[in-house]
Amino acid sequence: MRSLPLDHPGVADHRGPGRFLWWMARGQWQTLLGGMIFGILTMSAQAVMPAVLGRAIDRGVAARDTRQLVLWAGVMLGVGLVYAVAGIMRHRFAVTNWLIAAYRTVQLVTRQAVHLGGTLPRKVSTGEVVSIGSSDISHLGQVMDISARFAGAVVSFLLVSVILLSTSVTLGVVVLCGVPVLMLLVGPLLRPLQARSAHQRQLMGELASTAADIVGGLRVLRGIGGEQVFLARYRRESQTTRQAGVQVAKVQSLLDALQVLLPGTFVVLVVWLGAPSAVAGEITAGELVAFYGYSAFLMIPLRTVTEFANKLIRARVSARRVCRVLSLTPDVTDPETLLPSPPPGSDLYDARSGLLVRAGRLLAVVSDSPDESAHLADRLGLAGEEVDDDVTLGGVPLTGLARAEVRSRIVVSDTGAQLFSGPLGERLDVGGRGGVDLALFTASADDILEALPEGLDTAVTEKGRTFSGGQRQRLVLARALTSDPEVLVLVEPTSAVDAHTEARIAARLREHRGGRTTVVTTMSPLLLDTADEVAYLEDGRVVATGTHAELLESCPGYRAVVTRDAEVPA
Amino acid sequence: MSPALPVADGPSVRRYALELARRHPRLLGSAVGLHVLAAAASLAAPRLLGGLVEAVEEGTTLAHVDRIAPLLALFLLIQTVLTRYARYRSQVLGEQVLAELREDFVAHTLDLPVGTVEAAGSGDLLTRTSRDVEQLSWTTRWALPEWTIAVVSAVLIFAAALSVGWWVALPCLLAVPPLAVGLRWYLARAKDGYLRESASYSQINATLADTVEGARTVEALGLGRQRIDAADTDCADSYDAERYTLRLRTAFFPAMEVSYLLPMVGTLLFGGWLYTRGQVTLGEVTAATLYVQMLIDPVERLVAILDELQMGAASLSRLLGVALVPDDREVSGAQPLDEKLEARDVRFSYVEGRDVLHGVDLDVGVGERIAMVGPSGAGKSTLGRLLAGIHPPRTGSVTVGDVGLVELPLGDLRGHVALVTQEHHVFVGTLRENLALAAPPGAGDVEIRAALDAVDALEWVDALPDGLDTMVGSGRRALTAAQAQQVALARLVLADPHTLVLDEATSLIDPRAARHLERSLAAVLHGRTVIAIAHRLFSAHDADRVAVVEDGVITEFGSHDELVAAGGSYAALWDSWHGRGS
Repeated sequence: MRSLPLDHPGVADHRGPGRFLWWMARGQWQTLLGGMIFGILTMSAQAVMPAVLGRAIDRGVAARDTRQLVLWAGVMLGVGLVYAVAGIMRHRFAVTNWLIAAYRTVQLVTRQAVHLGGTLPRKVSTGEVVSIGSSDISHLGQVMDISARFAGAVVSFLLVSVILLSTSVTLGVVVLCGVPVLMLLVGPLLRPLQARSAHQRQLMGELASTAADIVGGLRVLRGIGGEQVFLARYRRESQTTRQAGVQVAKVQSLLDALQVLLPGTFVVLVVWLGAPSAVAGEITAGELVAFYGYSAFLMIPLRTVTEFANKLIRARVSARRVCRVLSLTPDVTDPETLLPSPPPGSDLYDARSGLLVRAGRLLAVVSDSPDESAHLADRLGLAGEEVDDDVTLGGVPLTGLARAEVRSRIVVSDTGAQLFSGPLGERLDVGGRGGVDLALFTASADDILEALPEGLDTAVTEKGRTFSGGQRQRLVLARALTSDPEVLVLVEPTSAVDAHTEARIAARLREHRGGRTTVVTTMSPLLLDTADEVAYLEDGRVVATGTHAELLESCPGYRAVVTRDAEVPA
Repeated sequence: MSPALPVADGPSVRRYALELARRHPRLLGSAVGLHVLAAAASLAAPRLLGGLVEAVEEGTTLAHVDRIAPLLALFLLIQTVLTRYARYRSQVLGEQVLAELREDFVAHTLDLPVGTVEAAGSGDLLTRTSRDVEQLSWTTRWALPEWTIAVVSAVLIFAAALSVGWWVALPCLLAVPPLAVGLRWYLARAKDGYLRESASYSQINATLADTVEGARTVEALGLGRQRIDAADTDCADSYDAERYTLRLRTAFFPAMEVSYLLPMVGTLLFGGWLYTRGQVTLGEVTAATLYVQMLIDPVERLVAILDELQMGAASLSRLLGVALVPDDREVSGAQPLDEKLEARDVRFSYVEGRDVLHGVDLDVGVGERIAMVGPSGAGKSTLGRLLAGIHPPRTGSVTVGDVGLVELPLGDLRGHVALVTQEHHVFVGTLRENLALAAPPGAGDVEIRAALDAVDALEWVDALPDGLDTMVGSGRRALTAAQAQQVALARLVLADPHTLVLDEATSLIDPRAARHLERSLAAVLHGRTVIAIAHRLFSAHDADRVAVVEDGVITEFGSHDELVAAGGSYAALWDSWHGRGS
């Protein structure tokens, strides 16, 4: 078996679901072929079993011929062993096929998410992309998985047809036509079953998210005493789900009964039609027993074919979703001709707002509308939706530089910045250059570390949920500081920490960045007071610059925004 | 390691399972009874066919065939009808049992002491509420009924085979050694293997979700390579887990196939030999071989489901474990005399031997506003939780009207004192359901709308396409942080406690929304006693008294003006906040 995952998933053909599936199948044709060969072998062994049993009864038992009996019993054992060995080989290939498709999809989508970066949430709902991991990979895997059994089903159906027709044309025709017709009769039942099952699954999903909510919401519930109301609601939903389950059971049990009735009908039919031939000596007793076996066996390939059709339909839906994500392009792409890189220590300037960020200084940005500052921060780092030439570094428009260069020189850490799971130390030291301890000190996050028994080796859980909001914010700040870029843009870096901590961060930030360009959008007087310069924006334009003290003195608009004297809560 | 939540032991799981079964004697009895009858009806065909084969060999008439065929049809119809009702009854039973199980579990979970959940980490409880409930649902709805049916069929078919002749038991014994050895070997390894496998897929999903939801951060900090490596590592781990279970099956499946094959071949050989000696008839050999062949299907299912049952039992023991957590509240029945909140010499520790509060005394007058300030980690939040009765103090007391908070039933407690933290959890459900959580019994839309109006939120709620029926929470319509906060505040209006503890209730809010929210907050606070843990000093400024908490004790306590005049740490902070030196 090959080693998984692949080193590189390749470049997918995402022009349509059919092409995508074909591209995927081509990439794993060897294992698909292997699965099909063993699939054919397995089902063929299963298919000839009734014939072998019939011969054994005829030539061995009925003829009282011990040699023949042993011979046919041996054949039966041999066929059974072929079935067992080929069966497990088929299973191994099928699982491998499933895994290749699933892992490859995960790899493709991860690489695409990285490629899209900030564009992703703007162009597609993140939930839709995440659901590729939770459901689509298994649908794509299943269609590759079932190919082995599908091949076996087709071949074994043909094999049995030949055997039947060569024994008795009447019986052969009855079985070969009758089985598919009866399968079709089941069809009308399948639709309500699928609808009811889907309804039940949806309710179960909702019920599960209600229960999972307890974990995140227990503190909230305890705080307001909502436990009983919550429980009553859960019971209600649980009972609705149960009712839906009973509705499924009504149809499902009918279908289960049909699984008894349909093959059984053939047994009756074969006996009724075949027995006269047997009585007349046209077929042997053993052949009659074999017919009994075939009619039961034929249900298996037919069910497999139906299953294949269903899985193919689902896989196409999944492939369509994957294609949609894979075909997106990032808002910002590298220019066709790169402009010469500005030297380190260049000023950053935004023509639209008139904001000048002098190299090596700590600049604070205050806006009458905080949305405006966040928007400006995005533009400074070329992370916004619209792309224009207004922002220049050392006179060179950012759009003229390679995207990777902009990202490495200018880092924007916004309020939505996410902490990733993994060992804390590694997650903070993004560039692998060290300096985490100092950054944690500056971000006044050393106390967080002290409380963790495993220190920097502590595993961060999903999105850092085990940390409080204030702790998360300080860790994110420490991470941004560790990345130590030429220009660091921090959006509201202390909005969730208490005043004591904020005071410490403010006192340490300037020294930490010493000589590197830093932009902070904030309304905190503690931070503003330590900035080299403060720029005040109104309606997206810089209207005043100076130190915090100067602006407090000279600019009434600024004073109103920063001290909020105008409005104090009652 | 954090202390995990308890897990119930084997005997109590079995006791509980039996108890559940006993709750539904009629449903269980009728389901099993019908299955027995259905399986019995299915036994006619091989017998009739065997008879027919023998008759054909001996030379018979068409009349014999015409007698047997309708009989076959009749038994088939009986079996079909019985199967329908047997399956229906057992599926209904499965749904019933499952509903009771999950409701019991949720009821116990809601009673868990918050401290226990936090110490164990949310991951443990999340696994129980999601993966274990799902596993158990699969087990009770599908695996258990299927298994029962398989057992019933296997037993009856075996009995039928024996009724053909006692000699049939001999070839069947051939299956026992490979079956027993294979099962023992496989079941000892399967559970851990499959658990690891399913955990590996959770990990793949978690990493993908992290990458996708943090795509912006990934780009900003150049984390692309790291995310790609993380995904590839997850796939490699998952492949390891898959390869392990695949190895198990590679040994187990063929062993099982052989153990099904041996009795069939054996029956044929042995039966044929007996027939040549004239000890059995051809019909008996045929019937016996067909019965043994028929036995394969139920035995195969019975075996295949065993690992499912094993995992179901493991999940059940984790769900039942939640009920084993001791309660940290002791309801005494005493009634508070008034609404005066008092803390006396309160000490508290999350970890034994490491107190985070070292003897705190606090008297809160009715209607008073108290602000609590202090550095992170000083114990403000812990004190807030004790004042809201979330945790009992280790020593000392927290009382309202001279009754300990942990002596009050939870339902009563919240009429006295409620806590709002910086977590503005929005529950999955409609907005109405989110608000009704805090409403007194009988409150309707009128009260809910009034509460929303009080916090200034009615306008945006009415602007939603479905108004109060809008689905919100994880995966549904996302509320902004400010809206989530307003919902939290509206819940408080509905809960209507005399005393409110606000733990940095506005801290996670974007400053851009803060002003609007302060108005909402003012409406909630009106007429109540308030203890606000805050980092925005301008709210401390307006409090009646300010308590400075440092290192687990209250170091300064007095009005804003008094503390500024005293020149302590509060005064220093206040000065730097106003840009007057630092």
